[in-house]
Amino acid sequence: MSAPAISIRNLTKVFPIPFKRESVVAVKELSLEVESGQVYGLLGPNGSGKSTTMKIVLGLVAPSSGSTEIFGRDSRRVESREDVGFLPENPYFYKYLTGTETLDFYGKLCGLGGKKRRERTRELLSLVGLENAADRRIGGYSKGMLQRIGLAQALVQEPRLLVLDEPTAGVDPAGSREIRDLILDFKMRGITVLLCSHLLGQVQEICDRVGILHRGVLVREGRLEELISIGNQTELILENASPDVLAEVEQVIARGHGRVVEKRKPQTTLERYFLKVTGGEE
Amino acid sequence: MWRTRLIAMAVLALFGAGKMRFEQQLADEHRAAFFHTAKLDLSLRQQLGQMGFLAALSGFRAVLADILWLQAHAAWERTEWGRMKLLFDTVTALQPRAMFFWDMAAWHMAWNASVAAREDKTQPREALRIKAQREYFKVGEDFLLRGIQNNPDRPLLYDALGRLYRDKFNDHAKSAEAYEKAASFPEAPEYDRRFAAYEMAQVPGREREAYNRLTEFYRMGEKERLPTLLRLLRELEVKLNVPPAQRIPKVESPH
Amino acid sequence: MNAPTAHRAFSPGRIWAIASNTLLELVRLKVFYFMLLFALLIIGSSLFMVNFTFQQQFQVLKDVSLGAMSIFTWLLAVLATAMLLPNDIEDRTLYTILAKPVPRLEYILGKLLGVLLLLAVAITLMTAVFCIVLYAREQMVLAETARVEAPSDELAAALANVKASTFNANLIPGILIIYLKAAVCAALTLLISTFASSSIFTIIVSVVVYFIGHLQPIAREYWLAALPGGADPSPFLKVLLGLVALVFPDFQLFNLVDDIVVGNAVPLAMFLKTAGLGLGYISIYTLVAYLFFANKEL
Repeated sequence: MSAPAISIRNLTKVFPIPFKRESVVAVKELSLEVESGQVYGLLGPNGSGKSTTMKIVLGLVAPSSGSTEIFGRDSRRVESREDVGFLPENPYFYKYLTGTETLDFYGKLCGLGGKKRRERTRELLSLVGLENAADRRIGGYSKGMLQRIGLAQALVQEPRLLVLDEPTAGVDPAGSREIRDLILDFKMRGITVLLCSHLLGQVQEICDRVGILHRGVLVREGRLEELISIGNQTELILENASPDVLAEVEQVIARGHGRVVEKRKPQTTLERYFLKVTGGEE
Repeated sequence: MWRTRLIAMAVLALFGAGKMRFEQQLADEHRAAFFHTAKLDLSLRQQLGQMGFLAALSGFRAVLADILWLQAHAAWERTEWGRMKLLFDTVTALQPRAMFFWDMAAWHMAWNASVAAREDKTQPREALRIKAQREYFKVGEDFLLRGIQNNPDRPLLYDALGRLYRDKFNDHAKSAEAYEKAASFPEAPEYDRRFAAYEMAQVPGREREAYNRLTEFYRMGEKERLPTLLRLLRELEVKLNVPPAQRIPKVESPH
Repeated sequence: MNAPTAHRAFSPGRIWAIASNTLLELVRLKVFYFMLLFALLIIGSSLFMVNFTFQQQFQVLKDVSLGAMSIFTWLLAVLATAMLLPNDIEDRTLYTILAKPVPRLEYILGKLLGVLLLLAVAITLMTAVFCIVLYAREQMVLAETARVEAPSDELAAALANVKASTFNANLIPGILIIYLKAAVCAALTLLISTFASSSIFTIIVSVVVYFIGHLQPIAREYWLAALPGGADPSPFLKVLLGLVALVFPDFQLFNLVDDIVVGNAVPLAMFLKTAGLGLGYISIYTLVAYLFFANKEL
């Protein structure tokens, strides 16, 4: 059996406050595993320890105690980064580089050779839909384009794990939808994704599993549908059902000792409606 | 973090302990090659002020000296001799290896300031005017002597000193000595040797030595037979009673 | 998917990628063009020293040019280096770089190398302008001298004299040492910026160290030898002087041009030792910078 994509064991991180005796506990005794191939949502309000956990996984911050591993390799070792791509929150890249040059730069950092790097750059630009902006300076990119070039740079060395920090923060709905689709596409390709977000609607749409952090403690963790399904209720959505049919259905339900809790017209989400009228929906 | 700081300090301290001696040795080596010979001391700090002194210390010694030199030049145009001397003192303290500064400072004092003092219309008593003139000769001499102290490896200031003793002090013995010292450097101009012999010819008691040297020049060929050489040789031939057969041939002077 | 591969512990390719990118980043900051322009102006302005003898003209031209080179390379070293880490942290590009398999030592080396390249470009440009100005002035003076009526051998001597007071080969080691001094300041600034809270703090500390470094030989000589005249400094003063000598570099040792312009020669052994000292400082400062950076929480 292969090692989990991310394994966090008894992780605690304490930040001392300079010139004071107190300290802040950002993460406390956190243990969790992200299985290979999953899209895992790490949720929590600001200051709940999501970012710290992510930075520890990426080796940017050292744990106070406990350990984290990426595919079985300790996060504190540089090699563990070979298998992970990271998109920070609100990333900026070097403004004076074009999209192509940016990917080329990150490709060099990953030790990709010249020919392979050029191929990979082209491939990624088309994957994230930036072929037309490939030779434009990043300084002129929109928020959504920045996010997409960020995803491309995270993928440059073909990592098996992606860590995304608020990938849709500040992106308009169409862009947000595109990024969501990209993440689903990565999942299809077998890439594990750790998604940190407080946009719950989005997490609900794409995550297989979620963990909820609150004040540095993992308060809930599990498969998404198990966490949020209401055990003894069922939702029926009917089309072209006449009032007679509905009355009959209700009778059947009553006969089986069931109860209709609510009857309403289903609504589309505002997001879907927005995308429909602005032509963003396919 | 504290561990890192401790290790960092330990590394720096270890390196510091090692480099300190090395730096001292290297500084000595630099000084032996006549680098950093400027004496940046308290008196210089008073003259330069805090900012100027800081500039001099942090690598702008040469530029500062140039600026003060330009000021001295302006003072010359206004014939402020006292101010010039002060500025020359500072300039040469800042750039003791600039031969040019020593040379020019001495020349301004001994040749220009001295003449101005001799012809000072505000001083009716001639004795005092002559005294002032002599004092400026001494100031010029003093610049050259201090310059030589800082540049013992170069002929130029010895040459200037020879000229000063010859033209202003009329001291042929000292002049000969200075010219001779200048001539002892391989890169010295050839006239230093000649001038040393010329001056020696006028020092009582060194006539024979001077005669031998001048004859040597004479034998080197037509090019060396300059009017002064011929005149001095003939004078010495008379003084030393050189037998007529050994004397140089009488030639009609071109004029 | 990628199979885990053996990671190369040290990769010149990665360092070069970071270095060349850093150079590009610095070259794009327009403020440095102004500084170069300013340097060029100063070098050009020393052309207008026409009322003086040619020795004076050349000496002033050289003093001003080399002085400007010293201060500009130093300023460039301090200002450019001070903002490298803060910029990368602020833009979060540092996260994306270090989230790649890039050892932190390579990041530090790449950044430093980028600054050193920038300084090399800057000093090469300034030297080129300096040489062109000096050569042009030399040609003008030579032409004037050649017009004077004089016997041919005297004229030849005068012309040789003019040539001797313009460019002299000892200026080359002098300029190299100017570069090295700026490089030491760059490494020092990088070290400070690994623990500083802001780039202003970095710049201030670096400038203070620069000035104290020029006073260091005074402290060192008092520490190594007792005060002249046998008077002993107070124990407190003695410890203070010792600390200054221990911690601060002797920047006076890197000021050679002032004396080279007025004719000092630089013996090869002395040059090599001075350069070696500079490289020693750069290495040790980089090492300590790495120590701090390796343990830095980002």
